[in-house]
Amino acid sequence: MSEGQLLSGGWLWLAFGLIALATHVPRGSFIVAGSRVRLPEAVQRALRYAPAAALASLVAPDMLLVGGAFDPFNLKLLAGLAAFAVAFRFRNPWLPFLVGMAIVWLGRL
Amino acid sequence: MNDAFRRGAREGFRAFLPLSVGLVPWALVTGVAMRSTGLSVLESVGMNLIVFAGTAQLGTLPLIGAGAPLWLIMVTALVLNLRFVIFSAALAPAFERVPLFQRLLSGYLLVDGVFAIGAERMLASQDRDWRMGFFLAPSVYAWVLWQVFVLCGVLGADALPKDWSLEFMATIALITLLVPIARARPMVLAALVGGVATVLLRDMPLKLGMIAGIVLGIVAGFAAERWQARREAA
Repeated sequence: MSEGQLLSGGWLWLAFGLIALATHVPRGSFIVAGSRVRLPEAVQRALRYAPAAALASLVAPDMLLVGGAFDPFNLKLLAGLAAFAVAFRFRNPWLPFLVGMAIVWLGRL
Repeated sequence: MNDAFRRGAREGFRAFLPLSVGLVPWALVTGVAMRSTGLSVLESVGMNLIVFAGTAQLGTLPLIGAGAPLWLIMVTALVLNLRFVIFSAALAPAFERVPLFQRLLSGYLLVDGVFAIGAERMLASQDRDWRMGFFLAPSVYAWVLWQVFVLCGVLGADALPKDWSLEFMATIALITLLVPIARARPMVLAALVGGVATVLLRDMPLKLGMIAGIVLGIVAGFAAERWQARREAA
């Protein structure tokens, strides 16, 4: 295996296996261990905030960073805010995609 | 498959359906990215079946392409997947007394979207069969959808336009997930702190800034809940 070149053959499949391990052990951890392992009540309550925090941390860099630098005046932030507003106001599930993508595409004209 | 399972399956599928559209561009992008890193069609399909995790796949592809050491590839994947420990722990009470095979299968199938739409309702339900239907139906559907559109990306890699910003649809999908969550004030705070902290800590190595951001968001939300409860009691 040499540095600077695509992994190949057995090394590549070994890498897939390790990435899979690093994916499915976290996913299965508590679901599989089940009732033998219990998290304290306070931790469980705190964990309810995990989805909100994780979603925002996935979304925020895409909307606030342009080429790795902080830039709040960009089209993706506008598109994201518009998509949020539309999803908040209307029940139509396709509308946020139409509005958000329309703003991103318009900016390229 | 009894009645409760089928009812749960229908409701879970219906709840996940609008969100699932966001998987399509994400899957296409992942398929194209694997081919452009230099993987063959067989290797791309193999990776997608074994790993089945868009973020971990996209995050490790540059390392695979550069022939990085295996330990670094694995640690990167692990960090990108730490959020699943949190999801898995949050869901665990819903899987009590579920047979081992179904729990292993559920672990393999666990993805962000299904957790986001399902966690609260699964934990609130007293019916084990309903819960399993509610989890497995959208999860299996997400798996099939993902495999199909990654395959489309893998096979169509050379023909797709690369300048349509289609990957932004994934961001929009995540944003729509925040809408029902953002109706409680501590949740809004958790999201704000999580998002802003991740941006501020973006220079931490190995995407650790994202983990730190998530932890800070959780702490902020939990602290706000406590403070709110104390104020109401007073």
